[in-house]
Amino acid sequence: MPIGDSIPLIGIRWDDVLFVALAATLLVSALLVVTLRDIIRCGLALIASFASLAGIYVLLGNPLVAATQVLVYIGAISVLVLFAIMLTQTKNAPARLVFQTQTLAAAVAAVVIAVVITATVLATTWPSAGQRLWTSTTDVAHLLFHDYVLPFEVVSVLLTAAVIGGVYLARREISKDGENR
Amino acid sequence: MTYLIPLIPLLPLAGFVVTGLLGRQMGRESHQIAVWAVAASWAVAMVVAFAALAHGFGIGDGAGITLWNWIPALGFKAEMGFYVDALTGCLLIVVTTIGMLVHIYSIGYMAHDPGKWRFFAYLNLFMFSMLLLVLADNFLLVFAGWELVGLCSYLLIGFWYPRRSAAVAAKKAFLVNRIGDMGFALAIMAIWTQLGTLNMQAVFKLVEGGGLSSTWIAVVALLLFCGAVGKSAQFPLHVWLPDAMEGPTPVSALIHAATMVNAGVYLVARCNPIFGAAPGVMVVVAAIGIFTAVLAASIAFTQTDIKRVLAYSTISQLGYMFAALGVGAWTAAIFHLMSHGFFKGLLFLGSGSVIHAVGDEQDMRKMGGLARKIPITYVTMLIGSVAIAGVPPLAGFFSKDEILGGAFKSGFLWVWAIGFVVAGMTAFYMFRLMGMTFWGPSHVDPEVEQHIHESPTTMTRPLILLAIPAAALGLLIGFPPESGLLHQWLAPVFEATIAAGGRTEAAYSFFGIDGGLAIVTTGLVAIAIIAAWRLFGVDMPAIGLHAEPRPDQVREVSARRGLDFLYRGSAAKWWFDDLNNLLFVVWGGRLAGAVWWFDRVVIDGTVNGVGTVTTQAGLRLRRVQTGHVQNYALGIAIGLIAMALGYFLIAVR
Amino acid sequence: MSGSLDSYLVLSGLLFAIGTFGFLARRNAISMLMSIELMLNAVNLTVVAFGAFVPALKTHAAVIALLVIAVAAAEATVGLALVMAIYRNRKTPLVDEYDSMSE
Repeated sequence: MPIGDSIPLIGIRWDDVLFVALAATLLVSALLVVTLRDIIRCGLALIASFASLAGIYVLLGNPLVAATQVLVYIGAISVLVLFAIMLTQTKNAPARLVFQTQTLAAAVAAVVIAVVITATVLATTWPSAGQRLWTSTTDVAHLLFHDYVLPFEVVSVLLTAAVIGGVYLARREISKDGENR
Repeated sequence: MTYLIPLIPLLPLAGFVVTGLLGRQMGRESHQIAVWAVAASWAVAMVVAFAALAHGFGIGDGAGITLWNWIPALGFKAEMGFYVDALTGCLLIVVTTIGMLVHIYSIGYMAHDPGKWRFFAYLNLFMFSMLLLVLADNFLLVFAGWELVGLCSYLLIGFWYPRRSAAVAAKKAFLVNRIGDMGFALAIMAIWTQLGTLNMQAVFKLVEGGGLSSTWIAVVALLLFCGAVGKSAQFPLHVWLPDAMEGPTPVSALIHAATMVNAGVYLVARCNPIFGAAPGVMVVVAAIGIFTAVLAASIAFTQTDIKRVLAYSTISQLGYMFAALGVGAWTAAIFHLMSHGFFKGLLFLGSGSVIHAVGDEQDMRKMGGLARKIPITYVTMLIGSVAIAGVPPLAGFFSKDEILGGAFKSGFLWVWAIGFVVAGMTAFYMFRLMGMTFWGPSHVDPEVEQHIHESPTTMTRPLILLAIPAAALGLLIGFPPESGLLHQWLAPVFEATIAAGGRTEAAYSFFGIDGGLAIVTTGLVAIAIIAAWRLFGVDMPAIGLHAEPRPDQVREVSARRGLDFLYRGSAAKWWFDDLNNLLFVVWGGRLAGAVWWFDRVVIDGTVNGVGTVTTQAGLRLRRVQTGHVQNYALGIAIGLIAMALGYFLIAVR
Repeated sequence: MSGSLDSYLVLSGLLFAIGTFGFLARRNAISMLMSIELMLNAVNLTVVAFGAFVPALKTHAAVIALLVIAVAAAEATVGLALVMAIYRNRKTPLVDEYDSMSE
């Protein structure tokens, strides 16, 4: 039996329920990322925030971007971050202070940014269609490989350069007698 | 003929270069090249001068030669050119003759000085500069020579620079001269801006043709006279000349008596078309000249340093020349310039010989009775003294008489009256000098007395050679009065100016006013000489004259009421040095101190304050640069917030 | 609520502010990189949200989002490699102990 647009009896739309849930998850996990003492847990919270953002993309009618988000962010970047954490982890690190001396200033700055952005968004009249538009993957493909083919190729070169640069920077320097330093 | 002219200054220049570069290596013979260069220059100058005086270049015209365009600038031109006419010829005779004799004299005088080569190099440079000054055909080149002789004067006054007084005197001469030179420089600028040329003959033609307004003529004449006052040591810039006697005596003779100090007289005489067109300035010239004459003569009364007496005498005689120029007796001024050059050069060289004899003592109170010990010096100096005193028929009589006659006949009775008194004063102080030095009992240190000896021949020969013109020049070129050779020579130079002045003078009348004046003046001179004999002694057995000095009477006279003030003023040189000291050294020093304080506290304070503020601000602001990325990132965030807020406040609301 | 552009944009703003805070306040270099990822995600959310509500941007927004993700991946690679390199030199992942830029 098909599920209706809204929850029976209360009349709240499923979409809204889903949005609130995903948004809450996103914000909470993001907060955890910046506040948790154990950096491994930060990494895991980061994965959670990526995942909830992917859900929001679906809600926005853009399954291609959502899939890419899962593939690239959760599948690649998160793993990369976790590996970096493990490589730089020292035993006494969690015992040390997590926050800078300028934490209070940073918090104030963040709050002000949030307020300013919110106020700006609410004060602006956007040329919105008033409803969500479904993005067709076929259209995206056409556009990407036709109109945006040059940026696409440039990005591919950028990625290659990033790979080479990453390897070069992170490479262990080998001294002349072949020993690791 | 004209091609010879450049040789006259170039020979001493070559001598200067060679002696200056190689003199140290030449050792005892370092004077050779310098002396021969000047001698050669003298020979050439004689040829050129007599050609000019005999109007070999055409009557009333000089000979000009332009070597090259010295300063070719846009619209401005100064040429390296020489010009010789009768006036230049007279100066050439004086400068090269005395210059050469002084060079020869210096061979003996400086024989034992380790800096002999330097001395001769400077002397040669001076000869070059002075000849450049005299020969130049444009004002800028005159100015170059003018400044060069000033430089040489400075170098030679301070020749014995380890002696503090010499170094100070050199500085004083240089600085005081600068004041006058400033006037000369301004005059040149005025001439250029008003007339657009600096060539002297062109300027004179323009002035005579009315190319310059009378105001500008007066301004230019005053400024030129200002330069002349500095170089010729006239009041109020006379203070440097007595101190200049710190230099070696040949320098005093050559530069500070016979030649360089004449440059001012020469300049005024050369610019006679300008001065002639400014009668008001002429009165100023006459007044300054005659005032300087009486002032300096009064100081010479009481000085005890033999060279200082002569120095004040020089100032006084230069004052005479300016007085002559001022009253329009141009030829008389040049006549006196020439005769004075010879007898004052002689007197200075003689005094050098005296000083040499008594072991470098310059105080006349420690001399006396030298007549028999150094006879050649004595006789030549006596001739010089008689000449300067104005006893006929020696040179000084004719030239001085012409000046006084010129003043009287041109209506400047006050100039004549003062000049008349000064003539008597001159005779008095000169015979005071003779009496204290050569006659009466000896006050020389007994130890020195044994070694008194006549100077070597290189020193006495120039004395003899100078004594001849000092004695005979008047008869030779100044007789008969006002129509002698000199007047025939110089007439073309001054006739236009005299004619433009519109003043016709009565011809010389021996049995009239001129003869009367001459007799009156001679009478005064005779009284003055006898007074000097009575007070300071005389001892001339050849003509049966003898009188003992009366120091008690000198003291009594000088202490007499009314005279004591004059005596003290004279001895203190009328407090000019003290006045200058108070005005420029003490008050000037205080002013400079105040300015210095202002500069240090206010100006430096501001500058340093800016520096301190910057440094301190930097030191404090440095803390902002922590080196921590996140601090910088916070800065970025704050900037972002500011921009977003700005956007929000302006655009959205 | 889910049908309004504003709610997505506000959500994006909040996420960006959280990322900013993390970037400014955390001492650990990897935490800072994670904060940067959060901010990039916030921007990407804005792009996709505009694409979903503004007809003119419809398909284009998706393309831009994809490109942003690719660039973010490159950034993460290089950034983490840099952290590794610095860590190996300084033996600490704590940014406030990197002081060679001061004085």
